[in-house]
Amino acid sequence: MDKQLEKLISLHDLDVMIADLNRKDIRKREVEMGLHTEGALEELKELRETYCKGIKRKWRGLYNQLTRHYGNAVVPALMGRCAGCLTRLPTAVCSDPERNSKIHTCPTCGRIIYWAD
Amino acid sequence: MKYSALSKFELSASSRDEVIKELLDLFSVGEKSRGLLAVALDIREKVGATVVHSSIALPHCRSILVDKLTIAVGKSSAGIPWPEEKVNTVVLFISPVNLTAPQEHSKFLAHIAGKIKNSGDKIIASSNQDELLKLLGFQLEKQGE
Ligand SMILES: [Zn+2]
Repeated sequence: MDKQLEKLISLHDLDVMIADLNRKDIRKREVEMGLHTEGALEELKELRETYCKGIKRKWRGLYNQLTRHYGNAVVPALMGRCAGCLTRLPTAVCSDPERNSKIHTCPTCGRIIYWAD
Repeated sequence: MKYSALSKFELSASSRDEVIKELLDLFSVGEKSRGLLAVALDIREKVGATVVHSSIALPHCRSILVDKLTIAVGKSSAGIPWPEEKVNTVVLFISPVNLTAPQEHSKFLAHIAGKIKNSGDKIIASSNQDELLKLLGFQLEKQGE
């Protein structure tokens, strides 16, 4: 898998974590489970900064732009379609065993696509 | 709520990272995805160890790499340093990322919180897979409601 794609997927998971801890209901549940969430949000934001430094400006820019526009920048391909907008993806790309070894974007919505291994 | 529950009795790993890897090995995802899920769980642990009720660890996150809630439970009679407290029960869970997932994730966290509050001691003392899964309210490898 393309290293930049791996980093973009991890950045996405990190952003979900930040978004979740910003949600009152999820924070409340974490506390109910007995977990301490104080300071976690700040630490996650700092980790995010570090992560971003490892991503090329071109992909970071696209990621941020897509996140602002759609709320999610990276989506899986599901049965040959972009899971974000359901556009059918080019067959040649979908059938390529090396499809994750470079970054592909959806021809319609522009989201970054990965294929589950 | 749809989920997949997996279990490993007894864990052979002896550190937090190894246990996470051992439980992720039960997931039906590829090696690359497993590695990326381990990264996400590690990030969550780094900002606060997920130990509750003295010896239960709850490594968890949401990820675009799973398409349904996936739970893997493990037991270690020797105990695993997590890393400052020793735990003997690990309940690892990963929720998917989709439009309804934050509510579903929140609902599942409430489920786990309730089980630990009501049966935490029994969960720690459970001696077999069926008993542990029953106490946690899961059915092994079945679609839950
Ligand atoms: Zn699309």
